[in-house]
Amino acid sequence: MKHRSPLVTLAAVAVAFIIMFTVNMLVSPPGGSSAEPAGPSTSAPAQQTTSAAATPSASTSESTEDKTFPNKIVYAGRTDDKSGAIAVAVLGDQAAAYFCDGRSIESWLRGTVQVADIALKSNDGATLQASLDGDHLKGTVKIKNDRSKFEIDEAKKPAGLYRARGSKTTIGWIVLEDGSQVGIQTAAADSAAAPELNPESPQVTANGESLDAKPINGDEDL
Amino acid sequence: MTSVPVPASEAPTAEPSGTKIGPVVIAFVVGSAVSIGLGVYGRLHTPTGYAVNIAGFSNGPAAKAFLASIVMALAILQIVTAMGIYGRIPLRGAWVSPLHRWSGRLAVLISVPVAVHCLYALGFQTYDGRVIAHSLFGCFFYGAFVFKMLILTRDDSPKWALPLAGGLVLSGLTALWITGVLYFLVA
Repeated sequence: MKHRSPLVTLAAVAVAFIIMFTVNMLVSPPGGSSAEPAGPSTSAPAQQTTSAAATPSASTSESTEDKTFPNKIVYAGRTDDKSGAIAVAVLGDQAAAYFCDGRSIESWLRGTVQVADIALKSNDGATLQASLDGDHLKGTVKIKNDRSKFEIDEAKKPAGLYRARGSKTTIGWIVLEDGSQVGIQTAAADSAAAPELNPESPQVTANGESLDAKPINGDEDL
Repeated sequence: MTSVPVPASEAPTAEPSGTKIGPVVIAFVVGSAVSIGLGVYGRLHTPTGYAVNIAGFSNGPAAKAFLASIVMALAILQIVTAMGIYGRIPLRGAWVSPLHRWSGRLAVLISVPVAVHCLYALGFQTYDGRVIAHSLFGCFFYGAFVFKMLILTRDDSPKWALPLAGGLVLSGLTALWITGVLYFLVA
């Protein structure tokens, strides 16, 4: 005896797969370049200007006056929902930020400082808004359709935001105060977790290239 | 045509004469092909890092963890009802088999958005042991599911075939849940 209903079930599952894939393809942002979650590798391939300014002198003007950003500071921490880590670097009236989930989703954002508020966006449409709340930086990051809240604190070296760039690979790291790291390496086609970074001797190898990781400041060109 | 009496406790229905192994082999080959196909797609397709979020959740991972946990709960219902059907536990009634069928259908349907998100947004990844295992089990799970559905279409399969297939599906799902949801919740 033969039964047909398992085949119907199989067909229903196959149809469900096809529908989900179709919906995804229709809704995903147009322009296949969105396939690379990493903006930076496509946006500014040029070697970054060596910001030797990123020496440990970091928080000189770090007087915690009420409701204004220090001249130079980096905040880092995890999003409230633990979906990823965020680092925000501020230098003067410029701000740069990096969001990354350690697996496949990342975004580099740029923006400006307005007294105690910052607003940043990325080339691929991600946005970040945050405000000073005492010593914390509180805000929301929106990557594609995912919105995550965060409340993060100053990251003192060696914690902070780092990036390494080679001809093929770009790697971003957020080093948290507790020493843990969240990072992604992106080559043309693929994103993966970043190799371990030692902030003291920031040399890493990825895809056969030897790269130098550099701390990122608020005025960084992304 | 077995002359050895089968203990009733071991086989609620006597071994039907003339079981055929051929269809089981075919089902296994088709299931394996599905697994390999999923793996190849996941490897070749460039992950978008993005997929449609399922409404009502703070983010993709939370939605996936929630749906996958529903699937896992239904899968536990699956093994309980299956044990009832096979007489291993005292669970009888006309409702047991339909419950097994429909909870299974529901489970696999709920799993689809999760799997599509994995495949479409993340792909088959190999950057650490957990991720390799999760990728492999994900491909394995749907292959095992196809294997099981194909075995179900016939009554003349050897009596070990269906429990084996069901066991493979459940094992695959459990491994997926552990390497996915449990990791997400704990890490």
